[in-house]
Amino acid sequence: MTHAVRLPWLLGGALALCAAAPLAACSGHIGDPPGEDTGEAPAFQCVGTIPGKSPIRRMTRFEYNNTVRDLVGDDTRPASAFVPEEEAMGFDNQATALGVTQILAEQYMVAAEQIAARAASDLGALLPCDPATAGEQACATTFIQTFGRRAYRRPLTDDEVSRLQDVFSWGRGDEGFPKGIELVLQVMLQSPHFLYRVEFGMPDPVEADVVPLSHHEMASRLSYMLWGTMPDEALFAAADEGRLGTKEEIAKEARRMLDDPRAREAVANFNAQWLGLSHLDNIKKDSSTYPKYYEGIRPLWRAETLAFLEDVIFEGQGDIGSVFTANYSMLNAELASFYGVEDGPATQSFERVELDPTKTSGILTHASVLAATGKPNQTSPVHRGKFVRERLLCQILPPPPNNAAFNAPDVRPDATTRERFAEHSENPACAGCHIKMDPVGFGFEHYDGIGLYRDTDQGLPIDDSGELVDTRGIDGPFEGVVELGQRLAQSEEARQCVATQWFRFAYGRVEGEDDRCSMSEIQQAFAASGFNVKELLVALTQTDAFRYRRAVVTQAP
Amino acid sequence: MKQRTLSRRALLRGLGGVAVGLPFLGAMADSARATAFPKRFVVFFTGLGTVKPAWIPTGTETDFTFGPILSPLEPYKKKAILLEGVDYESAYHGPGDPHQQGIGHALTGTELQEGSLFPYACNPGKMVGWGGGISLDQFLADQIGQTTRFPSLEFGVQVQYANVSARISYRGPGQPVPPEDDPYQAYTRIFSDLGTDPEALKRLRAQRKTVLDAVTGDYQRLSSRLGTSDRMKVDAHLEAVREIEKRLDAPGVIGGSCNPPVLGAPVEPLENDNYPEIAKTQLDLLAMSLICDLTRVASIQWTTVQTGKVFTWLGQDEPHHTLSHSSDGDTKRQQALIDIGNWHAQQLAYLCQKLDSVPEGDGTVLDNTVILWCSDIAQGNTHARRDVPLLLLGGAGGALNTGRWFKHSGAYHNDLLIAIAHAMGVPVTTFGNPAYCKGPLPGLLV
Repeated sequence: MTHAVRLPWLLGGALALCAAAPLAACSGHIGDPPGEDTGEAPAFQCVGTIPGKSPIRRMTRFEYNNTVRDLVGDDTRPASAFVPEEEAMGFDNQATALGVTQILAEQYMVAAEQIAARAASDLGALLPCDPATAGEQACATTFIQTFGRRAYRRPLTDDEVSRLQDVFSWGRGDEGFPKGIELVLQVMLQSPHFLYRVEFGMPDPVEADVVPLSHHEMASRLSYMLWGTMPDEALFAAADEGRLGTKEEIAKEARRMLDDPRAREAVANFNAQWLGLSHLDNIKKDSSTYPKYYEGIRPLWRAETLAFLEDVIFEGQGDIGSVFTANYSMLNAELASFYGVEDGPATQSFERVELDPTKTSGILTHASVLAATGKPNQTSPVHRGKFVRERLLCQILPPPPNNAAFNAPDVRPDATTRERFAEHSENPACAGCHIKMDPVGFGFEHYDGIGLYRDTDQGLPIDDSGELVDTRGIDGPFEGVVELGQRLAQSEEARQCVATQWFRFAYGRVEGEDDRCSMSEIQQAFAASGFNVKELLVALTQTDAFRYRRAVVTQAP
Repeated sequence: MKQRTLSRRALLRGLGGVAVGLPFLGAMADSARATAFPKRFVVFFTGLGTVKPAWIPTGTETDFTFGPILSPLEPYKKKAILLEGVDYESAYHGPGDPHQQGIGHALTGTELQEGSLFPYACNPGKMVGWGGGISLDQFLADQIGQTTRFPSLEFGVQVQYANVSARISYRGPGQPVPPEDDPYQAYTRIFSDLGTDPEALKRLRAQRKTVLDAVTGDYQRLSSRLGTSDRMKVDAHLEAVREIEKRLDAPGVIGGSCNPPVLGAPVEPLENDNYPEIAKTQLDLLAMSLICDLTRVASIQWTTVQTGKVFTWLGQDEPHHTLSHSSDGDTKRQQALIDIGNWHAQQLAYLCQKLDSVPEGDGTVLDNTVILWCSDIAQGNTHARRDVPLLLLGGAGGALNTGRWFKHSGAYHNDLLIAIAHAMGVPVTTFGNPAYCKGPLPGLLV
């Protein structure tokens, strides 16, 4: 397979080259000289198998909670009390950022003790055999082998079984059979083979140092990417039988898994991080400015956006364009009342509600997006524009320069938001950067700081015309958020941004030089599917980056 | 060497109804024999600098009155050292934006790592990694924290975020140490074992040892099969498990002045307006961890730099970070910043009062402690990392010349970190990047 790849695979983020000349005008220092144009990268040939990096990945709290739920039926979500993941690139699952410190190791220990004690309190449900009839040693060994295969997500070696038998024997000698089982569980739940996705690949390279993943390693890659949890029995069976080798076999499993409810949880986990919804819980709004605001509404804002995205991706057309343009949302009675939607749902369950198409534009008109980017007592066109640039177009904007006073101008009874922010366009020192943000944000001005539609701003008519500059292909003036949504839905840059964000989330790392061909295949498959998110996820399982790794090179310690 | 004495009567008086068994008493006796009075090191980190004119005192080097920000600490000024003219020189080198550099250099004194983890200011697309070296608190924990239940304890007050702008402590290059934001979690971790029935505790420890032996074996065997970068990660995990194992039998005792605080009803740890309440609980826990000698190294980090925290309890309605960008002439917002600084000084005074109320030898726990108050930058409207606000409290067991206001000019903060290490009994010649080290900052050491 050989095809030429040009620059567009490389979007924003770690490797962004500040390539476009206009970016230099927004360097973050008032008065900086313009930067250099690095020009276009040369064509690149995809030859052979190039897997990219495969750093060892530790479970996130989300994955830990799901895994112990599926492994031992423990739904207490013990990891919710762990220290938060170190975030990178806006995600909580980036391999290089996830280390283990003393406090986390202690939390793993305490959680393992508590989970094991709960599980051992009902041995009948836990054990595959009856120690009274099978014999305690024999039953323990069977347990170690069968449960261990699910905990380590592969069959245990004889050596591993033997060491766990020793732990069992010590515990049984100390306090009897149940304690032996309990301590075995504690060891497994703190083992690197449980907490990490440990990969070595197959012994024989396909070329040079490139090896295919083992079928059990592939099962774990699939399950944690598509479900955020351990494999189920069907996936284990496919691994045991060696049916996770070819692209077709992997795609078949991926499609099966996408039809499972667990895929919805994993996709919601991505969506929440992609759009920064977790920060909603900590924002403050001024209830004298916004009488309809109360703290209890914040989790519902988040729930609306997640329910809407789930509906688009799993029930609707599944295309990313609808995310920016749909003229419906998912509301419950409380949210419908908040938005002032008449004839809305009567219960607290979320239902599809058709909305006014002249005022509605997918997530762009969700309170979660509109309020998260606003100030306590006013809208922030700057932050709304920044949201579009950074989250939806994967562009990187510098923070304000050190000498910028960035107190939002005070609310005045005689001026609209646009008028109050005029300095950003009139002062050349501000305009260099703010031309990329404010004119985008002004398009949202019919929505107030908590995401409610308004006809006037301080009693004055609203001008919600905006303008896009420095984009790839959607530059130009626009009228209001609905037209902005239509532009984004047609934007190659926005589509590639979604695929890039998914690459980072799915693979737990930033794209690198060796990922050019994998990224190009992902982008092409996404385009070929009409930008369908489920197809994007399948495409992510088909690449060299997903199916292969470099053989491990060990060095003497 | 001074002997620590703790009478049986004092011990019983302090028990407060909590059953403490013989193993604890034995451990305590060992502890008392092995050490005179422990020295302790505490970091008190607040972001976004200060307002210099309101930060500095009036008077002379040895006879001064604190300004509006530090006035709550007036009762402790004889135990304080205020430093002017000390620069985070290292933070003018290497990658990172000013906030990232300031917080990442404050305790490490060395360049941040190159990396592709966090975007930074002033240069679209430029990225930075984690801090580039061990921080002073962790370094000291390796030296003076080896016999206590915890090598160090890290407390946070709504730090919440987990990136380079939210970390002050590092075990080593690229190994950030997160703080605990939730006082209820912290309480459970630190104090819950202390009330356990001794027989049950003995059995728990034996079981933990068996389990952790098996677990460390797994990490060791795996480590030897991994490539370099994965191995570093797994080895760090292994080291953390070994630390737990090593300390299973570390002494812990309730009695005397050591009485775990009683916590009220849980509050949501990240809700803006709960900030003062969470802060007080975290300070109570920190103080008691030191008084109980469960650790000798601790830090409390007040939210992150560039914080969106609104100090509503001071009548404010704008985020601290927004306020910090206001110009020197913006009197209203500068006053708000002074109020924030003064509020933080009140919190530090509360901690000092707790530590100063416990006698130890000829002095108090505070006298055997060094608290370092530091920030990421000097002031928010310049982001300078020169002439940063730095305040020491406590005497390190008589090792420090307290009651002083030292005016340096262009001094390097690495030399302050060196001087603190000396005061703690660890006479290093350099700390952080040696390029920014000349030797202990003059004047501090007795």
